[in-house]
Amino acid sequence: MASPPPSPLTTNSAASAPPDTSNKPAAPPVNILPTQLATTYSYIHPAALLSAFAARFPALVNDPVSEMAQQLPFLALAHVAYVMICLPAAGTDSATTTAAATPTSPSTPTAAATSSASSATTTTTGSTTNGNVILRPGRVGRRRTKDSSSSSSSTASAIRGRVVASLLSLTLTTLLATPVLSILLILFGAPFTTHHAQTVLCAAHMAILSSLALVYVHGVDGNVWKEVWGAKRPGDVVWGGALGTCVGAWLGAVPVPLDWDRPWQAYPITLLTGAYVGFVLGSVLGRSVLFGKRVRFEEGEDVKKVD
Amino acid sequence: MAILPRSWAVIIANVLTPLAVLVFSSGFFPYKPLIPGLARFEDGGNYTATPKAFDKVIFMVIDALRSDFVYSNNSGFLFTQSLIRSGAALPFTAYASSPTVTMPRLKAITTGSKPSFLDVILNIAESDTSSTLAYQDTWLAQLKANGGQLVMYGDDTWLKLFPGMFERADGTTSFFVSDFIEVDNNVTRHVSTELSRDDWSAFIMHYLGLDHIGHKAGPQSPYMTTKQQEMDSIVANIYTSMEQQQHLQSTLFVLCGDHGMNDAGNHGGSSVGETSPALLFISPKFQALDILRQSPTDSHSDFQYYRTVEQTDITPTLAGLLGLPIPLNSLGVFIPELLDLWETRSQRIDVLLSNSRQILRKMNEMFPNRSFDINSMDIACDSGPLVGVDLALCAWFRVNILLQNSGGADKNDLYPELESALFVFLKQAQEVISSAASDYDLRNLLLGLAITSFVVLLPLPTIYTLLCKSGCAGAFFALCLLGYGGMMFASSYVEEEQQFWNWMFTAWVFCLHVRSSILPRCSMPSQERNTRFYRLYDLCYSNFGALALLLSHRVLRRWNQTGQKFATDPDIARTFFPSHRLILWFLVILTYANTCRHLLAHRLSKLWQLCCVTMALSAFFLKLSYVASDSPELLPEALLVLWKRGFDGGSTVLFTRLVVVGIMFLIPLSMCIRNIPQLREMRVVPSTVFHDALTLFLVTQSRATNIPIFLILRAHANILATMNLSALELAITSLIAQYMTFFAFGGSNSIATVDLSNAYNGIGTYNVVLVGILTFISNWAGPIWWVSAAQVLRLNQARHERESHMAVLTFHMAATLLSVMAACTILRSHLFIWTVFSPKYLYAMAWAILNHLAVNLLGEVLHLISSKLANHSAVELL
Repeated sequence: MASPPPSPLTTNSAASAPPDTSNKPAAPPVNILPTQLATTYSYIHPAALLSAFAARFPALVNDPVSEMAQQLPFLALAHVAYVMICLPAAGTDSATTTAAATPTSPSTPTAAATSSASSATTTTTGSTTNGNVILRPGRVGRRRTKDSSSSSSSTASAIRGRVVASLLSLTLTTLLATPVLSILLILFGAPFTTHHAQTVLCAAHMAILSSLALVYVHGVDGNVWKEVWGAKRPGDVVWGGALGTCVGAWLGAVPVPLDWDRPWQAYPITLLTGAYVGFVLGSVLGRSVLFGKRVRFEEGEDVKKVD
Repeated sequence: MAILPRSWAVIIANVLTPLAVLVFSSGFFPYKPLIPGLARFEDGGNYTATPKAFDKVIFMVIDALRSDFVYSNNSGFLFTQSLIRSGAALPFTAYASSPTVTMPRLKAITTGSKPSFLDVILNIAESDTSSTLAYQDTWLAQLKANGGQLVMYGDDTWLKLFPGMFERADGTTSFFVSDFIEVDNNVTRHVSTELSRDDWSAFIMHYLGLDHIGHKAGPQSPYMTTKQQEMDSIVANIYTSMEQQQHLQSTLFVLCGDHGMNDAGNHGGSSVGETSPALLFISPKFQALDILRQSPTDSHSDFQYYRTVEQTDITPTLAGLLGLPIPLNSLGVFIPELLDLWETRSQRIDVLLSNSRQILRKMNEMFPNRSFDINSMDIACDSGPLVGVDLALCAWFRVNILLQNSGGADKNDLYPELESALFVFLKQAQEVISSAASDYDLRNLLLGLAITSFVVLLPLPTIYTLLCKSGCAGAFFALCLLGYGGMMFASSYVEEEQQFWNWMFTAWVFCLHVRSSILPRCSMPSQERNTRFYRLYDLCYSNFGALALLLSHRVLRRWNQTGQKFATDPDIARTFFPSHRLILWFLVILTYANTCRHLLAHRLSKLWQLCCVTMALSAFFLKLSYVASDSPELLPEALLVLWKRGFDGGSTVLFTRLVVVGIMFLIPLSMCIRNIPQLREMRVVPSTVFHDALTLFLVTQSRATNIPIFLILRAHANILATMNLSALELAITSLIAQYMTFFAFGGSNSIATVDLSNAYNGIGTYNVVLVGILTFISNWAGPIWWVSAAQVLRLNQARHERESHMAVLTFHMAATLLSVMAACTILRSHLFIWTVFSPKYLYAMAWAILNHLAVNLLGEVLHLISSKLANHSAVELL
């Protein structure tokens, strides 16, 4: 595992960097929750995902559409469990998770600045330290714990908050990310006039792998999603998984033109395989060696650089 | 002016490239050694000639006569089909091996040997006479040596292959693809005269019209059935003469295609349609054989009608039937069905024995270190599985045992066994000889590779520093080159190269998108940005530019399905447009209007406007006239009627020349007419008169269904212009776009997709250089457009940026060439070397020599000259 990352807000050599705020991420890179359960489960989940995929691979080759449709609820369930156990929900205090290195705590002005668009509840100290889900634009799904002194009820409300957050992100993933990814799949060369079921199901799988955790962790923070759209989030387990899914699916297209005439060369199978493998690789790399690093595109810079 | 050493490295690299290609090609396409001289009967030893079955032969070749054109349900060959039913015609499918172009196929038909791949190039460079068959052993030479006279009408390839062979001949050149009628009338007008004469022993006809229809309009064209009916009437004419005229009593009539065609009507590759021409032996005598066949039959998707024989089998069969020695280099096997013409079994055995001895001699020639003496057999035939030569030798061994057993006495019961043993040997020997690797000149291959490696190394230092400096783009370029290099070693990726470039293009657009969402854009001067239009324009392009690029690229990708695996999937050009002709013509008119608008925007004087509108209109009507004459099914009725009423009967050749000269004239004209500078700011996207005139010319040189692609290309260039690309990024974009559009226009790495339909525009008499240039331009229209568009995008580049652009292009060209050469060298004994890798090498040659040296480099030189001139005039003005 990686050593604690350097603060993402301390900028690198200012000479070569653009002067605007593009160096600072809209939200700091996210770590796995520091509990024993979260750490353990964060390893079990990708391994289980891959082995389940490998086990169901023959069935997938046999009938991709029905198999993908059948596995979709299980994947959603597993992933919801994963984000609930291992990741901090949007708006919850991430100070405990990213430890001292992250100066983001609700009481600091930085956090207020990063979440300037949110309602004032974010900045109210104390009561919002746990279990407060903020899904911008602030009106949806905001939960407020009434009693912060009682630890048991705060745990309960934290769990409730997580459930709501995960369900909301699942809804958003289904309603928004799936169509967007379907369109992207088609733009990147998926069949347009045929194979609609395959495309949508493949996009749904990819959406759960890539976007569910992103929505759960970042809510609908416009700045974060701008960074996602520009592919310049700092590396962490969530962004690594998302980027890995997409790059994996892109690489998954490679075996399709080969003249081997194998049934698994059919359209969505290789892409889906690439997406799953990419997700696992991306999450592992994102939380370890690439943590806090960003893909850089300016000239005169190295490809990837620690911020 | 100081000349930098690194620009010298690039120049030397470009100079060395043709040398490397030349050296490698001389090693890769060697002339195959052939046994010289003519075969004689006494050569073979102790056997005598069997009595001949026929005295004369009428040999009718119909170019690109695919098997289903004659045999299937919807054929126009009704009389020929009645001959098959009556038994007077013996039908076959003759396997024509790749390369399926006319000259190599004629060589196979006449010599019985497998021609080398070099003949493909020679087939195109028709003026070359080094490939003549005058000194080779053919059944024509055998006929002539036996005192026969030969006459020939049709494709003048025959006259080039056999100079001085024919008593009377009338050649037609096969390169005016748009002529469906005259080429064939030129043959048919001689038929009745020749049929009434009795001085010839071989009467050869070669009809080209059917092939031309295929190239122009495809196998499903409405012209096809008419042409088949016309050909059928000629068959009927000849057959009736054979029945009625005394001097044609003992005449064999052979009707065959030299190759087939694929679903697009092209040929050259190795798809099943291209390799399956029809072959029929026709004579009233065959009715006595009592073989009754069904005809017509249902269409087969694999084109294998009746029995499939090798095309090379025609040679020994003809030689046997006409009582001639079998030509020395033949690999053919006598076609068994025709053996029944001889009554006694011993005669049949004699025919097969002479065939076997000839092929054994050929095998001896190819494997000089093997002993073919029956007494010193050094292999154990009974033990274990045998391969290759051993298997053939054992088959020959078995034949000899049977021969000794028969002892010359007429033990008729042994003959069937002997006959089948002979066939086993013949088939085996044929397989061994044809699959034997050709002799490459390995020294030249390696020398060519070494020179290319040197060419790669020359710009390498420049490239290395450039790539290190430029982050993501540099890494992308390196990955792209490595991926391409690796891909060249896998035959399916070579066939599906368009997938690679589409895949790379999407990734590259993503890179550009990510990069542009980081960089602040400040391309335009602020006062220009102030107008609301520009702000909107900039906003749209900056936020959704990458999306628009991807979207239009997705459309482009579906325009022409190409490659092998998905080639027959529905696409826009061949599936959508024929059924939505109004949309096609709306888009075509839009393209012309758009090009015209761009031209108009340069100068705003009245004279200039008049000239531009005239040129665009006449170019459009020229295209209309081409489409009306070549593929009227693409024209809506209204336009067709308009065309028929207004323009029919004019000389397209003259018209084309006028239009091309007019387009060229626009460039000097634009310099003469004074510019009105105040209105220049209207222009959103930079462009040059040269670029817009070139666009109009390229549109003229493209197929009608491809014309709307230029709209998409224009959109791509406009989006890229707003992206503030660096020199390296522009170079990479230009490279990927060049390759991507080549495939989008329907190109592939197969010889079959070379589009000849625009290669004769405005050409009156066949001229190899002009036709070559026009063929290149019409096939590389997309790449050429992008080279010019990149020039426009790079107008403001500094000198060192221009140099690094050329360095990147040179390095890419050299690296791709090197990977193709390496693949061809390493995989030289691969099964697909002649069907996949050699065509790829030919394309790599075209990319390196023509697209890189002639187009990219020439564009750069032109730019240098014009900027020098501009500087001069500026100095003079001061």
